[in-house]
Amino acid sequence: MAKLKLAIYWAAACGGCDVAVLDVHEKILDIADAADILLWPVATDHKYADVEKMAPGSIDVCLFNGAVRNSENEHIAKMLREKSKVMVAFGSCAVSGGIPALANFKRREDILQRVYMDTPSTVNPEQVLPVTDCPVPEGVLHLPEFFGFVHSLNQVVEVDYYVPGCPPTAERIWEVVQAIATGNLPAAGATVGALDKSLCDECPREKSNKKIKRFYRSHEIIPDPQQCLLEQGLLCMGPVTRGGCGGQCISANMPCRGCYGPLPGVLDQGAKYISSIGAIIDARTPEEVKKILAGIADPAGTFYRFGMSTALLKGANR
Amino acid sequence: MGKRITIDPITRLEGHGKIEIFLDDTGAVDNVYFQIPELRGFEKFCEGRPVEELPRIVSRICGV
Repeated sequence: MAKLKLAIYWAAACGGCDVAVLDVHEKILDIADAADILLWPVATDHKYADVEKMAPGSIDVCLFNGAVRNSENEHIAKMLREKSKVMVAFGSCAVSGGIPALANFKRREDILQRVYMDTPSTVNPEQVLPVTDCPVPEGVLHLPEFFGFVHSLNQVVEVDYYVPGCPPTAERIWEVVQAIATGNLPAAGATVGALDKSLCDECPREKSNKKIKRFYRSHEIIPDPQQCLLEQGLLCMGPVTRGGCGGQCISANMPCRGCYGPLPGVLDQGAKYISSIGAIIDARTPEEVKKILAGIADPAGTFYRFGMSTALLKGANR
Repeated sequence: MGKRITIDPITRLEGHGKIEIFLDDTGAVDNVYFQIPELRGFEKFCEGRPVEELPRIVSRICGV
């Protein structure tokens, strides 16, 4: 059997997804046996020019992690889409924007101002900002355009499969790799490497259908490790988040952060969570509701922590 | 006019980088530009987030 031609790319990302691939440990040797890597910037030395020369469809599978933050990310996404038979949005950033998409709460010019002018460690007396075309004595240098909106991968190219997680866990990655290698994939458009039910469905904690009088921030209480975190007033995203992650956060006595994304059929994870909260708070008057909700320090940034590219409300740059 | 060599992307490190090397007519290096074609803006979007969130957000600056 011909070896699988594989590309792994990062756009606006941290490299955690790439490292998560390596977290399959010695099984990486099996991946190397089954696949030839044609692009993987964190690990191999292939250049964009090498990919550009390939015929369309030369890559069997592209695992694309990272959000689409600038014109280079978009250009490479389009190039890899053309060259790849199967395009996988790999990790929360590619699936729904991830942490970089928290920038969608801010305006483009405010980000540039803060980064290049105002931070305490910045020295920029000439007030220089990055430009896409920069003339130098030897010619012109080109930098990508910084977009006003952080996009998910499927907002710029067609995506065949989605693998959520920040990062996806090694066990799920291995399952996905095996499914790809054996051609055992569901119909295009599916989310793979995650469950179709919520984290609550696999959570071992006890639920008592208790209503809550106040929310706590994580440093304000030490939660009971046996009881449901949400019922203890911690903003656990479990009810609206896909399971399959192995429950790493909840086993560390910390609430789910929502990185595995919304359940099947749910368009907007944050909106769904607002409805979950509505069901659990113990309030009889609008004043009581207001008082309890005031205990949530950063509702938008919490409910849309990984999903500001795909949220129905588009933030500061709609 | 000398030769221009572009290394894009630079590899086996976390993040995005590009190097442009300009050679003079004799083939010696005349000038080199190291460029970072990426910005995410943590400096700005961390503003407004609860302080206890920051270790869990800024750990995504670099996950390698």
